[in-house]
Amino acid sequence: MIEVKNVTKTYGKKQNAFIALDNVSFTIPDGASVAILGKSGSGKSTLMHAMSGLDRPEKGEVVIDGEDILKLKTKQVDKFRASKIGFIFQSFFVQANETVSDNVSLPLEIADIPRGERKKKIQAALEGVDLSEKIGSKAKNLSGGQKQRLAVARAIVNSPQIIFADEPTGNLDSVTGDKVEKMLFGYNKKNGVTLIIVTHDPELAAKCDIQINIKDGKVESIRDTKPATKQHTRKVVS
Amino acid sequence: MRLTDTIKRAGRSLRNAKARTLLTSLAIGVGAFTITLSLAAGQGGRAYTDEIVTANTSVNELLVTKKQPEANSGPKKYEDTGVSAMAGSMSNPGAADIAYLTQDDIKAMEKLNNVTSVSPNYSPSVRYITREGQDRYVVESVSTFSPSVTLKYAAGSVDGNLANDEIILTEEYAKVLGFSNPSDAIGKTVEIRADKLSAPVSAPENKLFPFKVKAVSSKSGFAFRAQGSLLVSNDAARELYEYINKDTRAYGNFLLASVQVNDEKNATSVKDELSTKGFEAQTAEDVLGAINTFINVLQGILIGFGALAVLTSIFGIINTQYISVLERTQQIGLMKALGMRRRDVGRLFKFEAAWIGFLGGAIGSGMAVIAGLIANPLINSALKLEDVTLLQFNPIAVASVIIGLMIIAIAAGILPARKAAKLDPIEALRTE
Ligand SMILES: Nc1ncnc2c1ncn2[C@@H]1O[C@H](COP(=O)(O)OP(=O)(O)O)[C@@H](O)[C@H]1O
Ligand SMILES: [Mg+2]
Repeated sequence: MIEVKNVTKTYGKKQNAFIALDNVSFTIPDGASVAILGKSGSGKSTLMHAMSGLDRPEKGEVVIDGEDILKLKTKQVDKFRASKIGFIFQSFFVQANETVSDNVSLPLEIADIPRGERKKKIQAALEGVDLSEKIGSKAKNLSGGQKQRLAVARAIVNSPQIIFADEPTGNLDSVTGDKVEKMLFGYNKKNGVTLIIVTHDPELAAKCDIQINIKDGKVESIRDTKPATKQHTRKVVS
Repeated sequence: MRLTDTIKRAGRSLRNAKARTLLTSLAIGVGAFTITLSLAAGQGGRAYTDEIVTANTSVNELLVTKKQPEANSGPKKYEDTGVSAMAGSMSNPGAADIAYLTQDDIKAMEKLNNVTSVSPNYSPSVRYITREGQDRYVVESVSTFSPSVTLKYAAGSVDGNLANDEIILTEEYAKVLGFSNPSDAIGKTVEIRADKLSAPVSAPENKLFPFKVKAVSSKSGFAFRAQGSLLVSNDAARELYEYINKDTRAYGNFLLASVQVNDEKNATSVKDELSTKGFEAQTAEDVLGAINTFINVLQGILIGFGALAVLTSIFGIINTQYISVLERTQQIGLMKALGMRRRDVGRLFKFEAAWIGFLGGAIGSGMAVIAGLIANPLINSALKLEDVTLLQFNPIAVASVIIGLMIIAIAAGILPARKAAKLDPIEALRTE
C-alpha cells in the first residue's frame, strides 16, 4: 500500500518560488492500476518522482509498506528503488549500443542478483513482452514499439512491487501503444503488481482502476472505478 | 553492483567509443613505451657494467692508491721526496704531483687484518717482443694476470694461476709474431727484451726474457682492463720490473696496488682502515656503483620524458571522461533512477579510466618489447658487443608500468567520475 500524505514540492526560492505539488494526499492499495491524469505542467511527473524516491519534496510523507521513504538515507532509497520499483519512461531510455539482453540485465546487476539467476529472469521478462527472439540484437536496431517493450521487460525483470510508467505510450502510434498498454495491464493483473501510469490521455486513464486527477499541483478528484478496490481503500483509510 | 559487472560495463562503454578510447590510450602508450624502454635499457646497462666489473675485478680485491694531494691547493713548495720524474713514466708522465705507494706502504698494508696479499702493479716498461726468425714489436704494456679476471681465449686457457715462465698473448701479437692461427702459438717460446735503466749510457745493459705461450686472448665485450696487455704472472712481472728499475729513484714506488682480502664481507672494513692510513681504496662494488650512478641518471632522464608524456595524457583522460559523462547523461540518469548507488556510478567511470590506462600501458609496453627485440641484435652489431642484451625486459617492471599507469588513469578519472556520481537523475532524464 502506498500512502501519500500532505506532499508539497516547491521549485525555486522566495519570489520565484513555484509550488509544483500542493498538499497532495491519497492512498493506493496494493495491486491496483492507477492513472495520474492531468494536463502538461500540472505536476504529474513531479508527483511520480516523489512517490518513487527520486525526489525529496520538502513536506509530507510517502509511506510504502509502513515506511516513509522520504526519511530514508540516499543509500537506502537507492536500495528501495533497485529492489521494489520498475520504471518506464516516455522516451524509453534504452541503451542503444547495448544488446537487448544487457539492457534487461541492468536492474538485476544493480540489485546484486547473482549471475546464475539472471539469465532465467531475463528470458522470462523478454518472453513476457514478446521479444525473446531479439535477445542478442542491439537495442538501436529495434523499432519504437519494440524499444518500449524492451523498457517494459527491463521494468519487470526484477519482479518489482510497483511499476511507474511516465507517459509510456506518448511516443508510440496507437496500434503499438495499445500493445504496450495490454502488456502493462496484463502484467498488473497477473502478478498483482501496483501499476502507476502518468498520463495526460483520459482514454488510457479510463482503463485504470483508480484515476487521480491533478491540476496545478493539487489533487482535483479521485475516481475509483473498481468497487472492490474502493472498499479495500476505505477499510485501510478508516 | 558487483565489481565484475561494473568492470564489464566499463569495458563495453569503451568499446562503444573505440576511436576515442584508442586515441586517448595511445597518448598514455607513448609514455608507457618510453618508460618501459628506459627501464629495459637501465636494467641491461646495469647488467652489462656488472659483467664488465666482475670480468675485470674480483670481489675480494681492492685497488689501492696513495691519497692524492688536494687539487687546486695552489703552487707547492718543492720537497725532495726521492722520487724522480722518471717515476711518472710508469703510468702518468704528465702529472708530476702524484703521490706514490712506497715499499713501506705495501708492507703496512700487508700487516692489516683480513688482508691476504698485496701486489703492487708492476707494469714494467719493456722494449719489445719477438721470437726466432720474426720482427720485433713494441710492447704497449705488460700486466699481471689475475685468475679472478675473466678473459676470453682464442686459443689455450689458464687453469688457476700462470706459471712464471708463461705468457698470454693477444690475438694481434700472435698474428704479427708469425703464427698462422692462435692455436699454433700455444707452447711456443717468445722473447721480451728489457733494458736496465740504471746502467750508464756508455755501457747499456739489457736482457731477453723467454716466455712460453700459455694462451691467446681475444677481444671481449667485457674485459677492458687486460685488453691489449700481454699478461704474465705476478712474479714474472716483478722480475721484469726489478731488472728494469733497480737502482733508479723510481724504484719501489707504485701508483697502484691490488690488495686481496680473505672474504668479500671484509672488503669494506679493510677499505675504511686503508682510508684512515692515508690510502684510497676502491672495491669492485665502488667501481660498479660509480658506473651505475651514471646509468641511473641517464635512465632517470629518459623516464622523465616518459613521465612528461604520461602527464599530458592525464589531461587527455580527464577530457575524454568529461565528454563521456556529458554524452551519457541519460544513461547515468537511468542507472541512478534504477537505484544504482553513487559509489557504483563513480566506480564505473573510474574503471573506464583504468581500462584506458591498461590499454595504453599494454600497447606502449608491448610496442617497447617488440622494438627492443628488434633493436637488440642491431645494437649489438653496431657497438660490436657480443653476448650482451642491452635492453632487458623484466616482466615485473613491465607489469608495474602497466599497473602504475592504470592507477594514474584512475586518479585522472576521479573528477569526471565524481561529476557522474553527483548527477541528479531527474535532471538527467528530463526530455522536454
Ligand atoms: N527543476 C524544476 N525547476 C523549476 N520548475 C520545475 C522544475 N521541474 C518541473 N518544474 C515545473 O513544475 C511543474 C510541474 O512539472 P511536471 O511535474 O514535469 O509536469 P507534468 O509532468 O505534469 O507535465 C511545471 O510547471 C514545471 O515547469
Ligand atoms: Mg511529465
